[in-house]
Amino acid sequence: MASFMNQEFPDEEEEDDFNPAQQDDSDNENDDAPDADDDDDNVPSKNARRGRDDRAGDERSSSKRAQDEDEGDDDDDEEEELEEEEEEEEEEEEEDDDDDDIEGQPSRKRRKKQRRNQFIDVEAEVDEEDEEEPEEDDDLPGEEMHPDDLQELPIGADRDDRKHRELDRQREAQLQVDAEEEAARLKERYGRQARASGATGAIVPQRLLLPGAEDPRIWRMKCRPGKEREIINALRNRTIQYAGSRDPVEIISAFERGGTNSPMAGNIYVEARQVADVEKALNGINHVFMGTRPFMVPMEEMPDLLKVRKTKHLEEGMYVRVRRGHYQGDLGCVDEVEANGTDIVVRLVPRLDYGLNEDSNAPTMDEILPNGQKRKRIKPITARPPPRLFNENDAKKKHAKYLQKGALTNNIWTYQGKEYVDGFLMEAFKISGLQIDDVNPTLEEVSRFQSGEDGAGNMDLQSLAATLKGSRGGDFLPGDKVELFRGEQRGVTGRSVQVYGDVVKIKVDNNHGALSGQTIEAPIKDLRKLFREGDHVKVIGGSKYTDEVGMVVKIKDDRVTILTDSNQQEITVFSRDLREAEDSGGATSDSKYALFDLVQLDASTVGCVIKVDRESLRVLDQTSNIRSLLPTNISNLIERRKNAVATDRDGNEMKVDDMIKEYSGEQKSGRVLHLHRNFVFAHDRESTENAGVWVSRNTNVITVAAKGGRANSTGVDLTKMNPAMKRTGAGAAGMAPPQQKGRDRLIGKTVKIRQGPNKGFIGIVKDATADIAKVELHAKNKIITVQKDMLSMIDANTGKVIEGGIQNLSLGRGGAPGKTPGYGGGSQTPARGFGSMPSGGRTPAYAMGGGRTPAWKQDAGGRTPGYASGGQTAYGGGGLGGSTSYGGGTSYGGATSYGGGSVWGGAGGQSTWNPNTAGGRTPAYASANSGSKTPAYGGLEAPTPGFNSAPTPGAYQDYQTPGDFRDAPTPGVRNSYQTPGGFPETPGPYSAETPGDFGPRYD
Amino acid sequence: MFFVKTLEHRIPLHPSYFASDAQQHILAKLYADKEGSNTGTELIIAIIDVEDISEPKVVPGTGQAEYDVSYRAIVWRPFKGEVVDALVTNVVSTGFFADVGGMKVFVSKSMIPPQLKYTVDGSTPSFTDNAEQTVERNSQVRIRIKGIRSEIGAMFAIGSIREDYLGPLLQ
Repeated sequence: MASFMNQEFPDEEEEDDFNPAQQDDSDNENDDAPDADDDDDNVPSKNARRGRDDRAGDERSSSKRAQDEDEGDDDDDEEEELEEEEEEEEEEEEEDDDDDDIEGQPSRKRRKKQRRNQFIDVEAEVDEEDEEEPEEDDDLPGEEMHPDDLQELPIGADRDDRKHRELDRQREAQLQVDAEEEAARLKERYGRQARASGATGAIVPQRLLLPGAEDPRIWRMKCRPGKEREIINALRNRTIQYAGSRDPVEIISAFERGGTNSPMAGNIYVEARQVADVEKALNGINHVFMGTRPFMVPMEEMPDLLKVRKTKHLEEGMYVRVRRGHYQGDLGCVDEVEANGTDIVVRLVPRLDYGLNEDSNAPTMDEILPNGQKRKRIKPITARPPPRLFNENDAKKKHAKYLQKGALTNNIWTYQGKEYVDGFLMEAFKISGLQIDDVNPTLEEVSRFQSGEDGAGNMDLQSLAATLKGSRGGDFLPGDKVELFRGEQRGVTGRSVQVYGDVVKIKVDNNHGALSGQTIEAPIKDLRKLFREGDHVKVIGGSKYTDEVGMVVKIKDDRVTILTDSNQQEITVFSRDLREAEDSGGATSDSKYALFDLVQLDASTVGCVIKVDRESLRVLDQTSNIRSLLPTNISNLIERRKNAVATDRDGNEMKVDDMIKEYSGEQKSGRVLHLHRNFVFAHDRESTENAGVWVSRNTNVITVAAKGGRANSTGVDLTKMNPAMKRTGAGAAGMAPPQQKGRDRLIGKTVKIRQGPNKGFIGIVKDATADIAKVELHAKNKIITVQKDMLSMIDANTGKVIEGGIQNLSLGRGGAPGKTPGYGGGSQTPARGFGSMPSGGRTPAYAMGGGRTPAWKQDAGGRTPGYASGGQTAYGGGGLGGSTSYGGGTSYGGATSYGGGSVWGGAGGQSTWNPNTAGGRTPAYASANSGSKTPAYGGLEAPTPGFNSAPTPGAYQDYQTPGDFRDAPTPGVRNSYQTPGGFPETPGPYSAETPGDFGPRYD
Repeated sequence: MFFVKTLEHRIPLHPSYFASDAQQHILAKLYADKEGSNTGTELIIAIIDVEDISEPKVVPGTGQAEYDVSYRAIVWRPFKGEVVDALVTNVVSTGFFADVGGMKVFVSKSMIPPQLKYTVDGSTPSFTDNAEQTVERNSQVRIRIKGIRSEIGAMFAIGSIREDYLGPLLQ
């Protein structure tokens, strides 16, 4: 960019000052003395000088060439001066370019002078120069005067002149060498004066240099952020390309400010005379948003735009980060800054694998092929080794040939061409390859640079502070306890009240004498946060421990050691990174894996997360191994399948959240967390090992209790005792109406649709499930699906609706009108009370479900227990059928099939839990109902052995097997059941029970 | 520090216990629930007596009855700065853990006098000055509590023995 500016600048200036139309590429023409004379004296001479300077720059390369040809006894500086002098001469004498090459040679010079004498009227020339001379004397500094002096000399004296000039040059050189010393000396001597006068001296030209109305303006163009430099480079190339053409790029300069993260990203700035020039210059360059018009930067803002941001000065001991390469992102410590300020030697913690992962057959890095070319090394795709100090013993194992001992001191090694000092890698970087701002070293990184045993102990706090300088804004919040640690008020403690800029207002604590309770202001740099041992604090930033909560155990300067709540480890952080924590609680992690998550480790391995750290996870895999992994090592999370089912060792069902127990081994128990393939991950709250998680094969565990249930061993199970719960429990399951088996009896019936869009249609049921039916409509040849409860059955012939027809069908009752079972009470005749049979007076056979086959009876009979009302009414006992049923049971005497009777016992047992029952336990009650109650049924003593025995599996099984049912409803049984004889109120019935069934239980 | 404190506790009772012995159930439950429990700030050591058992109130929806029981109990509450005796449970390189009743206390290395050095003799790690003072597992130490953290049902503290008259107790 600099050369770009230089290149264009003179043109523009001259174009402006002289005549733009006649702009010529030949520079020599412009600054002719006569022209200068014509114009105002000062301006052209200035311009001329500028032009010359610029050209000097341009021709530096040619001067290099010249130097090669020259005898070469002059050094570079001299050469340049010479060059300038040559320029002067050139201009004045209007010589050819050829002279450039030969100017330095005295003999040629002489020849040239002589030649000039032949053609030019020297006298006249000299006169002219004489006129100009005084002016230039005023304007020009010393070095520019030599040629003028030269002009004054007689022609024959040019040899002397050369000597003069040589002398001058020597003086000049000497002066330059001594300039710094001189400056120092002068400063020492006149320092005070210089300060007084220097100020004005510096300001005046600054002010004069500010852009004015006639200066070129700066336009801003929008562009794609991040592409600014690319655009500038493209523009530069374009400018060079078109420089000599008819249509040059007529802008003066172009620049961008800041990188991608600067607020001025996405803008480029072009300095030009007219906006058209800007547009022309940028037209067709990629990434420039030509759609937006160039914005002219206001004149007063132009200087700000060009203000040089002070780059951070690098000092030894500061921390930087490496921008790219093998050590990208690593923290480095500046070890040495070269004098030029751009080359920096950085100390790094090496990341070496010492060739351990190297393929021994692979070509080594500097293998040279026969044709002399280096073979390009195929970089193995391996993870970057972790940072570790250099260890020569490791290096010797495989790479002894690359290892060389450094001279003199004993801990310097050269390994693979790099130098390692005290275990650290010393590597030179360009400043551009380093990140100097926002380094934010963490304590752990910094502690790696401490060769001491535990790092934190002997940390170079000064260097860290140098790095951290300036990054302190926002560290203090109102309410923080702070301490002044330097300055006059050192030692004062208090609470911050207000924070603005770099100043914190502090309300001083009470134990500071006169200051107590006052509010003082303190600069942030003198403050640090104050903690006391035992304080509960939270890490709020600046380290990998962010969000960790713990208690302060040690405070040293601004380093605070805290014991974390989560895992009782001691961590050391800066006090600026801490805040007082009101709440307890572990580190909330932003990991996407949570504790107890099931994760896929590889195709065949899964694991359960047992610890979530900030950066890593601990996982218990299916083989009971513990692995520490980075979250990136986990391929994915396996969703918890809540309804996954597995079978345990006994073949029982095992679901998530069930309590299980290991069959062998340690007999661990726990709650099922995950079921995966044939592994079960379980969690034991009592155990602390692996966070209580253990893993086993499905076949090695037994289910102790299903979810919601409780282990049998743990005392009295309330769910068993509580009728409310039991009703929904397993015991009541048998009471629910069993599913209808076989063909739905609604099929083939004529129905009418009562509701919905097809209301009123009549059709025939073609198919049916429990609650929906497919109805073929009479009206249209169409089969539609309808909810059963939207149908009513009609008589196919009469079209009359049969009330409750469908319900009765599905309940297995005959198509008869379903009266509610006779709840008339004990006064009803047993036959009548027997229930829903339309005619109670029917023969027993009829009563058997309308004369149906036993198979059909199963429908109805099976339901009997559920329809306690039906059964109960049979005995006339309002809701107390259970008790009466025993009477019934006994009345059959030895009816073996009456094992079913025990079912009634079960039901009866339940009803004893009914408070009503308890109330009705009096003899009066018993007699009022059926009189068959026995003391064994006594209310709260219900859980007598007799009661408990009722729901024994045996009893249930007897009852539930179809065989029983088929047996039970034999006409004889039913019949006698309903006879009044079934209500024996004497104790006798009990003795008449079948011993096998009842005897033992009701003892 | 120990206190006698009047506390309240609300106990729900399942309907299956609704009987004349409901009070016994309540009391049994109270003792089971509360004695030895940790509220986060204090530890209930023993219930002295029960002052009052309120009339039960049936909770709509569950059928359970709630009893408000007020009782007096001996509680122990640790304070910052308090000096307590503790039993060492675990010695690690960064310090040691000790139990003060139901409270776990950590004494960091920085709060142990420098003359007590961490050593692992045989298999028992200890802090010892190789003279009369040794802190190892099961030794009794006198600790000053420097900070307490309360959680629901647990307390945790850090302590110091870096002071005169603190440290392992001579037995």
